[in-house]
Amino acid sequence: MAFKNVQSLSERLSPFQKFYLIVIAGFILGPFIPLLIQSFAFRWAWPDLLPSTWWLEQRDKSMLPLAWDYVFSPYSRVWEATVNTVFIGSVVTVICLAICLPAARVLARERFRGKSAFEFFLSLPLIVPEAAIGIALLMIFIRLGLAGSYVGIIIAHLIPTIPYMVRMLTAVYQGLGRDFEEQAMILGANRRQILWRVTLPMLLPGVVAGALFTFLVSTNIFLLTFFLGQGQIVTLPTLLFSKISGGTLDASAAGITLIVTLPGIILLILSERFIKEEAFGKGFGN
Amino acid sequence: MRSTSKYLAAALVMYGTAAFADEQAEQFRDAFLDGSAGWEDVRARAKDEGTVNLYYWGGNDVLNVWMDRVVAPAMEAEGVKLNPVRITGTKDAIDLVLAEKNSGKGVGDGSVDAIWLNGENFATLKRQDALFGSFAQLLPNAANIEWDQSDSRSLLNFRDFGVETEGKEMPWSGEQYVCAVNAARVEAGDVPSTFEELRAYLEKNPGKFTYIKPPHYLGNTFVQAAIYAHNPDGNGAEAFQSSLDEIGAAELARLITPGLEYLKGLEPLLLDANGGKPRYPEDNAALDGLFLNGEVNFNCKFGLYAVATGLATGTYPEKAQEFIFPKGNMIKNKNYLAIPANAPNPAAALVLVDYMTSVDAQVSKLKNVGMPAGIDPWKLSDEDAAALAEASPGHTGVNQAELDANTAPDTNATLVDVIEATWLDYIERGSDAPIADIVARAAENLNK
Repeated sequence: MAFKNVQSLSERLSPFQKFYLIVIAGFILGPFIPLLIQSFAFRWAWPDLLPSTWWLEQRDKSMLPLAWDYVFSPYSRVWEATVNTVFIGSVVTVICLAICLPAARVLARERFRGKSAFEFFLSLPLIVPEAAIGIALLMIFIRLGLAGSYVGIIIAHLIPTIPYMVRMLTAVYQGLGRDFEEQAMILGANRRQILWRVTLPMLLPGVVAGALFTFLVSTNIFLLTFFLGQGQIVTLPTLLFSKISGGTLDASAAGITLIVTLPGIILLILSERFIKEEAFGKGFGN
Repeated sequence: MRSTSKYLAAALVMYGTAAFADEQAEQFRDAFLDGSAGWEDVRARAKDEGTVNLYYWGGNDVLNVWMDRVVAPAMEAEGVKLNPVRITGTKDAIDLVLAEKNSGKGVGDGSVDAIWLNGENFATLKRQDALFGSFAQLLPNAANIEWDQSDSRSLLNFRDFGVETEGKEMPWSGEQYVCAVNAARVEAGDVPSTFEELRAYLEKNPGKFTYIKPPHYLGNTFVQAAIYAHNPDGNGAEAFQSSLDEIGAAELARLITPGLEYLKGLEPLLLDANGGKPRYPEDNAALDGLFLNGEVNFNCKFGLYAVATGLATGTYPEKAQEFIFPKGNMIKNKNYLAIPANAPNPAAALVLVDYMTSVDAQVSKLKNVGMPAGIDPWKLSDEDAAALAEASPGHTGVNQAELDANTAPDTNATLVDVIEATWLDYIERGSDAPIADIVARAAENLNK
């Protein structure tokens, strides 16, 4: 299906439009090419177009794991960081959903005094600089014994993710309307049945999109993780930062950079497939 | 996920029993420092503590591998799990210790057990009274280090950038400020050995040199070397061993003026200056990049074995070699392991520091990481000293005797701050004020 679409699209485009598409693709993919080459290099100095020595040539001579050997060795802590990142992201997403689903329902359907002020209040964490939140939280969490713990990081991650999630889910609820639920009620469904068979399936695409987005935001938060993890809990962003903060990109740093982009790419592919085919199909098709 | 619940449990336990743990840790500290707790007591308590959190600058892959491959198993043998926390700057760990101290976390209650540091960072912890105590000479491996004050070589163990260590940190590694040259781009006859020769070289080859920008300690050290070499009294480093209070701002200004004038005059000849403002790299990784790419022909930093390790990791150009510069003023110092006052596992920290200064650890560190020994070879048995000598990654272009013959001590930490502020004002911001005024102002700001 997807392939057919591409074909028909390319037939419809003018050469000028095609040129633009290629330029845009170049801008997006271009930076990855030197990164990929660097990740296989041992010594790559100006003005050489390609590395003068490759990692594989030095692999047996060096007592230290180089390039990808280092990335995949336990020393680089990539695995630990990936597990931490995915774990924190998942927990944050679940908690965030539990908080935001009821909140969004109320915001979308009810009217109450000070509602717009409350909505503005909800987006405040997006306006206040992360560093300010981080330092204040660190002082509080140190007292509570939460600094350097998973709980502390998860609470901190909820701060910038809740505003996004609430906004997305409110929009989804607004789009849903009460008609379907009322219809089901008239036909004799009880509240539970309505929730499980009508409301949730219809909300699903929005919920999935919101959850993926929350997960992605959580896996990319550097500053809050860095402050509250106190260097004891390594995630992919903090690992990458400590690796490239020196300003140069060696082979292992390039490898870690490529690894860090993976969760985002995987999620993007998943969300494309899931939201378009599965969720929409189930929610609206039948 | 198992470690998660462990962290959670640990957090809860720490929160619940904080006051209790405090008291015990305090008793242990006092007993160890007054000598009533023996080394076996320390080891037993370390086993009970079970973990040690070592905070160190994690920018060196080789060192990271060494920590995991060599130190972690050695600590495992002691029943202690090493938790190496890699930080981007040592100051992060200092800030953490002080933040915890300020929020009321005392002995046994913080999160940092040991820090790799020296100079300013140690001075800060000491000033804030955030150190465990004078433990260094009580460790079994203190025997590997010179503590006899009548031997002038012991100075590096007692003074860290001119600040008295008082045994509150343990020497771990030695360093010397060494410059490397890319021999593929510079002929042997053109390699400078004095600041005047460097200037002459740059007049012929403008832009082929730069140094790391102060306030980075590597930049500060280059500035200090230039100041030593231009000392108007001709006694090099000697004048810079006392504190600011002892010397006075006016005298300091007189001593550093010729060096700063030289650096100001050098500016138009540095990288990308073209007669104007040059480019100063922010840290050693950036300078390594410039050196590898041939943008500059020299690379000056603390790195007695930087050439050997740079070649082994591909971060130095193939023809890199060391040279003696500046003659007689190559700054030499040590770096240390310190234990903060609120270390959560003080006994495990002591066991770790003791292991780090063992002959085995030092030989392995020198051989694999290229970090010079922090222990003093003349205190070792002939066999151990030979093992240490053999572990050296070696030099290219110079020999150890030449390097040893040209050393100079560090500048007192209180002066470093003033010199740094003066450089920033006089050279980076291009202030027109006389150096004496800038120094007076900087000294005043520090005393506030």
